[in-house]
Amino acid sequence: MIKTTNLSKKYGNVTVLNIESLEIPKGQAFGLVGNNGAGKTTYFNLLLDLIAPTTGTIFNNEIQVNTSEDWKPFTASFIDESFLIGYLTAEEYFYFIGELRGMNKADIDTFLEQFSEIFNDEIIGKKKYLRDLSKGNQKKAGIVAALIGNPEVIILDEPFANLDPTTQIRLKKLLSDLTKDSNSTVLISSHDLGHITEVCERIVVLDKGSVVKDLKTSEATLKELEAYFSV
Amino acid sequence: MIKHFINFEWKQFTRSSYFQKGLTIKILLFIAVIYFGGMALLLGTGLFFILKKIMPELDPIVVVNNYLIFWILTDLVIRYFMQQLPVMNIKPLMLIPIKKSKVINYLLGKTTISFFNFIPIFIFLPFSIVLLVHDYPVLNVLSWFFSVIFIAFSTNFLNFLINKSNIGFYSILSVLVVFVGLEFFNIFKTSHFFGIAFNALYNNPIFTIIPFLVLVGMYYLNFSFIKKSFYVDGAISKEIKEVNATDLSWMNRFGSTATFLKNDVKLIYRNARPKQVVLMSFLFLFYGLIFYTQDAYKDMPAMMAFASIFVTGGFLLTFGQLVPSWDSEYYKMLMSQNIQYKEYLKSKWYLMVFGVSLSFVLSTPYIYFGWKIYGLIAAAASFNIGLNSFITLFGGALNRVPIELNVKAKAFGNTNGFNPTQLLIALPKMVLPMLLFYIPYKLINYEAGIISLGLSGVLGIVFQNFFLNKIEKIYQTGKYKTIAAFGEKNN
Repeated sequence: MIKTTNLSKKYGNVTVLNIESLEIPKGQAFGLVGNNGAGKTTYFNLLLDLIAPTTGTIFNNEIQVNTSEDWKPFTASFIDESFLIGYLTAEEYFYFIGELRGMNKADIDTFLEQFSEIFNDEIIGKKKYLRDLSKGNQKKAGIVAALIGNPEVIILDEPFANLDPTTQIRLKKLLSDLTKDSNSTVLISSHDLGHITEVCERIVVLDKGSVVKDLKTSEATLKELEAYFSV
Repeated sequence: MIKHFINFEWKQFTRSSYFQKGLTIKILLFIAVIYFGGMALLLGTGLFFILKKIMPELDPIVVVNNYLIFWILTDLVIRYFMQQLPVMNIKPLMLIPIKKSKVINYLLGKTTISFFNFIPIFIFLPFSIVLLVHDYPVLNVLSWFFSVIFIAFSTNFLNFLINKSNIGFYSILSVLVVFVGLEFFNIFKTSHFFGIAFNALYNNPIFTIIPFLVLVGMYYLNFSFIKKSFYVDGAISKEIKEVNATDLSWMNRFGSTATFLKNDVKLIYRNARPKQVVLMSFLFLFYGLIFYTQDAYKDMPAMMAFASIFVTGGFLLTFGQLVPSWDSEYYKMLMSQNIQYKEYLKSKWYLMVFGVSLSFVLSTPYIYFGWKIYGLIAAAASFNIGLNSFITLFGGALNRVPIELNVKAKAFGNTNGFNPTQLLIALPKMVLPMLLFYIPYKLINYEAGIISLGLSGVLGIVFQNFFLNKIEKIYQTGKYKTIAAFGEKNN
């Protein structure tokens, strides 16, 4: 589904990302871990064509992301709060994204029903603008918006950060179901090794922009990751 | 402690992004300050002689006193739009062991060092000196001067209280409109009443105590207001407004652009900055009055064309020039969502067309000045819709300044959305219509000028797709740069 070749990103003389080859097959739950500055967000930004690569290419479903926009209809993402429109209410925002993805109000209303547990009555019908919601609730709204319209590729940057424990557990279940049932390719990054090993079937460790580990998740993965990061 | 405060201010000033934006802007800002300061000084020095010449039968100080009330009210309205109480910075100071009163006093003291407070000093100090030179009684002039300054500072503090409530603002605005209306139509000379009061102030130096007490009172009100809400959930917290949801589904008839149009409408009425800009653009409607009423411009039809552009183009020029900055807060999302760039641009174009059309309808009273002028306004509106809108969108592609939507712009304190490219791109917006009108006017006649200007707009609409495609390409090329620039503020 996503094919990365010889990808690098340099700012001046500093290389922030350098991936020779990385292939993510369709339907995989793919996890990205690494310390601050390892290049996780940079990779996602490149994948979404928000920054230009210095060298190399990324193909999303055979479409080169920085030359064509045709990957946009089947790709959805939530990187940070700047993906939200602050002056809309959560509903208005969902309707807006829905319209972009060819879903009408009724479709969205039905779609949102399954998230009532996650929303915990704090997001829908609250007459509050997104900018006035708490960080955690903003994140919930952003993640749910990224799931609108059954996208084939879903990119979430640190989805577990800022969430309350209950929602973290629900989100884990939601993401696991997503890859099992709908065959979506899910890419997430996280600092929480426990969560990411639970959700993802494959985990790639980045360090200073390079891939240092590429693991198929098993019983031993969490131990291995913990050993790697406890220096 | 004050030393630290001042040190922080200095760092905040020199390290802020607008200050580091480059030499050009610094120079332009400097020139602007010098210009307004200089104008004020000139006005202050010349005021006495000008008044003497216009109304030789009256004492200049009496004339000034008669009209002082209008200055005060106008000052208040301008301050409302441009000046804000700088409360946001006190949050980090709340945990440090400093007395609250010290922080508040410093904060309020800081507001007095404002451009708006220097202007009255720049005007009335030279005026008072001229009065003294002309042998006016020293005590009266001095006490009058201080009274005026006390009043200016009172307005400074009154503004912050008004800023907290819309009701205050609208009542002040309506009082001003009623005053000017009554005065203009000679129904009731409101200025007369206040004139007597201010003249009494001049004649009885002891009355200076009144404005002084008003100032102290205003200061105290502000002080206690801030003190009462010196908590993170008090004055410094963002006001959480309840949403007034409006059903905009009727806009769906605009097809695929409706999605964006609905957002833009919400953007305008839910955010402080765009609201401010739209209110300002409303004032442009009256721009024509300056030109059409002056005999001096009667023989300069090119200037008339210039003014006509502004009458209907207020929204286009003020709001339009900041496309796509209005969406800077969530530009990354727009760029990675399922959005055709062309649809996005088209929605902005529709919005500008709507703005111009509305202004054109509102400009109907200009028929009073005759069909010649109204025809010119109509032709200019056509130009605004057909060509100026595209020039504005094109200019937007070169504009990469992020905007904080819910923060009001400050005079000279905030150069958000202001850069030299903007000035360059503003030139064709004004010069082009003048040429389009003036050349046929010179060669044939006035009517030909109107037709030429009007047709240019029609041409733009006919080639709409061509222009949009070209502009879209330019936006696409600058995409990464724009994303990076918009991200600077957001992260």
